[in-house]
Amino acid sequence: MDIIVCVKRVPETAEADIIIDSSGKDIQTDHLAFGINEWDDYAVEEAVRIKEAHGGTVTVVSLGNAEVQPVLRRTLAMGADEALLLNDPVFTGGDSYAIAKTLHAALKDKKFDLLLTGVQAGDDGYGQVGPMLGELFQLPSASMVTRIEVADEKITVTRELEGGMGENCELTLPSVLSIQTGINEPRYVSIMGLRKAKSKTLSEVGADALPISGDDLGASGALTEVASLYLPPVEKTAEMLEGDTETVSAKMMDILKKKGVVG
Amino acid sequence: MSQVCVLVEHRQGEIQEISYEMIGKGRQLAEALGTECYAIVLGADARGIIEKVASYVPGVYSIEDPQLAEYNAPAYQAAMSALIQEKRPQLVLIGHTASGMEFAPRLSAELRWPLASDCIDLAVNEGCVEATRKMYSDKVNARIDFKAAPHCLATIRAGSFSSELAPAHTAEVITVASPLTTEISARRFVRLLASEVGDVDITQADLLLSVGRGLGGPEYLPEVEALAKQLGAAVSCSRPVVDKNWLPKERQVGTSGKKVKPKVYIALGISGAFQHVAGMKNAGTIIAINKDPKAPIFGIADYGIVGDMFEIMPALSKILTSA
Amino acid sequence: MLSAYHLASTTYWGIPGFCIAWLLFLTAVGLFGMLIWRRYLLIRAGQPDPRFHDIPKRVKDLIVYGLVQKRQPRYLVSGAIHLMIFWGFVVLSIRTIDLVTQGLQLPVMVPLLSSGFGTLYEIAKDLFELLVLVACVGAAFYRAIRRPDRYQGSHSMDAYLILSMISALMVTDILFEGSVYLADGAGPSPAWLPAAGLAGALLSGMETSSLLTLQGVTYWVHLVILYVFLNLLPLGKHFHVITALPNVFLKKTQKGSLKPARWGVEDFETLESLGAEKLEDLTWKHLLDLVTCTECGRCSDNCPAHAVGRPLSPKMLTLHLRAHAYDRYPVLPSDKNSSEGKEPPKMVGDIVTPDELWSCTTCGACEEECPVFIEYIDKIVDMRRHLIESAQNPNTFNPVLMSLERNFNPLGKPNVKRADWLNEVGEIPPVKRLKAGDTVDVLYFVDSFPSFDPGFQPIAGSLVRGLAAAGVDFGILGPLEKDSGHQVRRMGEEGLFQLLMEENMETLEQINFNRIVTTDPHAFNTLKNDYPGTLKVVHYSEFFWELLQAGHLKPIKAVASGDVYTYHDPCYLGRHNGIYDSPRGILSVIPGITSVDMARCRDRSFCCGGADITLWHEIPNEKRRMASMRVEMAMAAGATVLVTACPFCQLHFEDAIKTDGLEDRIRVVDLMTLLVSTLS
Repeated sequence: MDIIVCVKRVPETAEADIIIDSSGKDIQTDHLAFGINEWDDYAVEEAVRIKEAHGGTVTVVSLGNAEVQPVLRRTLAMGADEALLLNDPVFTGGDSYAIAKTLHAALKDKKFDLLLTGVQAGDDGYGQVGPMLGELFQLPSASMVTRIEVADEKITVTRELEGGMGENCELTLPSVLSIQTGINEPRYVSIMGLRKAKSKTLSEVGADALPISGDDLGASGALTEVASLYLPPVEKTAEMLEGDTETVSAKMMDILKKKGVVG
Repeated sequence: MSQVCVLVEHRQGEIQEISYEMIGKGRQLAEALGTECYAIVLGADARGIIEKVASYVPGVYSIEDPQLAEYNAPAYQAAMSALIQEKRPQLVLIGHTASGMEFAPRLSAELRWPLASDCIDLAVNEGCVEATRKMYSDKVNARIDFKAAPHCLATIRAGSFSSELAPAHTAEVITVASPLTTEISARRFVRLLASEVGDVDITQADLLLSVGRGLGGPEYLPEVEALAKQLGAAVSCSRPVVDKNWLPKERQVGTSGKKVKPKVYIALGISGAFQHVAGMKNAGTIIAINKDPKAPIFGIADYGIVGDMFEIMPALSKILTSA
Repeated sequence: MLSAYHLASTTYWGIPGFCIAWLLFLTAVGLFGMLIWRRYLLIRAGQPDPRFHDIPKRVKDLIVYGLVQKRQPRYLVSGAIHLMIFWGFVVLSIRTIDLVTQGLQLPVMVPLLSSGFGTLYEIAKDLFELLVLVACVGAAFYRAIRRPDRYQGSHSMDAYLILSMISALMVTDILFEGSVYLADGAGPSPAWLPAAGLAGALLSGMETSSLLTLQGVTYWVHLVILYVFLNLLPLGKHFHVITALPNVFLKKTQKGSLKPARWGVEDFETLESLGAEKLEDLTWKHLLDLVTCTECGRCSDNCPAHAVGRPLSPKMLTLHLRAHAYDRYPVLPSDKNSSEGKEPPKMVGDIVTPDELWSCTTCGACEEECPVFIEYIDKIVDMRRHLIESAQNPNTFNPVLMSLERNFNPLGKPNVKRADWLNEVGEIPPVKRLKAGDTVDVLYFVDSFPSFDPGFQPIAGSLVRGLAAAGVDFGILGPLEKDSGHQVRRMGEEGLFQLLMEENMETLEQINFNRIVTTDPHAFNTLKNDYPGTLKVVHYSEFFWELLQAGHLKPIKAVASGDVYTYHDPCYLGRHNGIYDSPRGILSVIPGITSVDMARCRDRSFCCGGADITLWHEIPNEKRRMASMRVEMAMAAGATVLVTACPFCQLHFEDAIKTDGLEDRIRVVDLMTLLVSTLS
């Protein structure tokens, strides 16, 4: 099994204060900690586990500047065999479609059985690149994958559906899967392990080396763009439900209904 | 006539709530754009579903094909692709669900129609549709511009709009020929997996009813479990409950237990120690019920009720029984 | 002194006695030499470990703990018995050499024993033979009848065998002496020789020929037993007779610290692997520990993990490791064929299970108790390092370790918010935020939990109030501060610890300060003992006790009457750093306070559950929380307020009190908060 995993370096924002930058279209990141996108971490772990069980190789690909290198190093330490960084200023500013096109151009001559991505990225959360790659490669794809069973020439995957339900479907190989968190427990790679992975290959490729027109890259290749960012009104201190028991219970029931968890 | 179309999502003969939410929003947008909102129904036999939405939209496009009997991404993509290429709507709304998030991006790449995914709102601005979606742990709202594309796609986050609709139409049903002439073999639907009842996996549940020390004793568990059953929730807990062997370890949420991400997390009598909070802070919505108004859990909850869980629980149960 | 020289010249079946003595001697010594060589091969297989620095201190400790055996009486009965046997051995060694050399016709001891010392020695020897005999009988009874739990899993048959042999050695020598006295016609032995006198009385009336036969039999039997005894020592737990004193001499001299990944290796990145995976990854001293264990079980008897039913018993850990070591380095070249085809057991995994390793809170109770100074924490952490390096740690550690790597704190908070707690602790005096180049008297190292966890922040607030009240010039580092690394180091993530330490050292080197004060005993310990160089670090309890003694602070407000306070010694303040009196000093000057000590206090304090693994990993089979047991001990002492000087202790105790529903009977207070509440 030769597996390619696409990963993204994202800022940790769950606990951080978000400040919108002067362009109004992005956030300030100098005070934020960065790391591998959580979903991609699961995807890399899954790829390494499949390799450990069935043999083959794992190649990790990312798009970004030199700051992405530590993220790729970590995936190498987890057990990936080589890493490829698509690093060129012209790649920036694109949407999911432009990114998918770039990745497709970089990977289309590579032979693989599985191409994995995370379901979505923790920063912008579009969740589009995986399925788009499936389309661009003209390969079957599945998203929200929580289990992969490998058989000859095909795989059976479990997908997570709403309401605690699941779905099994079969895909022929090669195929493209978007991995959901919880599919495994990504391993922790120690600092020692990270440093030991330094000897593995991490190559960088710029736009010139890719069989793709400049019009398809970055902002000019994008189908959508972020017009502006704004901070929604803060509502994070708990809204206290007041009234007698019956009233607060009724209010609570309304919330449950609104959130779609109670019919 | 460039319409707004809404794909009706259904499973096992039931229309998913989000479909109504999207129809509601679609009708508003259509009005703003000076057009109409049509529903799209795909299925092996779409009649039942069409009947259910017929009073809410002026028209329904439908493709019937045996390969659409169960949701299967390639079949849905092919059907949607054929349909919208023929009808060329200005905007197509699809649920940002396990299915929509799978084929909508493919459709976008196939047709080169821009897609804004996981939108919480859509608006018409100077004749152009503009989407709003959340980013960065939902802390930032982003306005997405479709770059003046004539046709665009949007997937919608569940719960963004009201699903309560006034019937206003009798839909004209337009059947479109199925493009699925050959059997799709690259991906096949195998089976649906029902949510497991016996062995509760709290990490998979959409709704968690979580109890803490405030439970008081194992003798009160049946009451909690009965309410959970009524709600369709799974029961989880904080560490002290496991310490006391009231619930098994698999139900524990927290740093030394499981990390959970349900849509709604109801904390009953949980004070909110960091070990616990770290395991559930990513829940979509947190509702906390605690007797202590100073309990730290209220600091991270979205909704709080200061009160006795043993008074609230029967009240909730009563509402559910009478509904 | 009575002699057996005539036995050396007696012929037995035509062979002169001295020939038989030489034959026995050479066989015994040869065999013993071979056994010691085999054991040496085992010890030699270990990793380097520098143990020859600080010689004066080592000599002193050898006297205090090796010869005087200060730790023995911590268990009064068995300690007394052991002291009797040990000193018996010391005294009787001269007699033994004398007896052996007599048979060999080497009269080396004659000059010494025919001097005045000889007479004195005769009395001492006689008395100690009786004492040892009594001690052996006592030990056997204690073991058979009292059956302390701590002996569970020890080799009791081994113990009985050795006790019988020692007794037999005593009896044969006593009978030999008695018979020599009688046969020589010297009459009953002098009254001040009770043992020989007793034997004389017993044997009186015997024919001279029978007495001579008895002499011969007791002498030769004594010799044979002695040689068998000698050769049994390296095979079982009584090897400590030989290795205990060296082990005490070679003991760890800096408590609280942890061994580096590999001694003598500056840059751990150059190592093939990190941590102890197989036996040979342990240091030679740690292998010496294994062969030295006396199986007394005092370690497990004091181990809190053992007490709450976790799968860890320090004694059994050593015994399992020892059995494994003896399997891998057998005294006889092993029959290779028998084990062929079978996977050899893995040290970490088969011999020692991960749960055993994660059970340890590194409280140090075992090491404090061990009479021969066996080290546990270093071994356990070394094996944890292997688990971390091979990704065999509990999954719940992963986000914690990732957060430390990305955010420099284990709580997943952005480190830029590290000083935000200043806004969460109510009204406090302004606090200086230090940056490179600043000068300050006291640098307050807050560490991660007091910075970020709402439960810990009030303690930091109290500290700030106290420092300000005493007029101390102090400041904090805010986001420049990184986690101290105490937890990660003990969890086994050595590389991450090094990273955090380097980050902090870089910051600390750029600020001029006289001393560091910490909230938490763990941060105090790691800065003091794990960090390089000579950081002057004090825990707040020491610092404020100094301020109080110097009169810079004066508690004036009395605490409410009716409460009884008890102070819980945090492991990393007490056992690991010897700070027992400063916190008690602070308590003593608080007006109106009544305080008691718990039965287990000071160096026998009982761990609250710990500050690392416990927070993120649940150990199966735990019957009770350690904190719950500790709260019970506090209540047994009559306390209504449990005082801690460690935020983690407070966290665990508060949890236990709530879980056990004891809010009406006992509460927890942090020492700093208590002190500050009495200031105005």
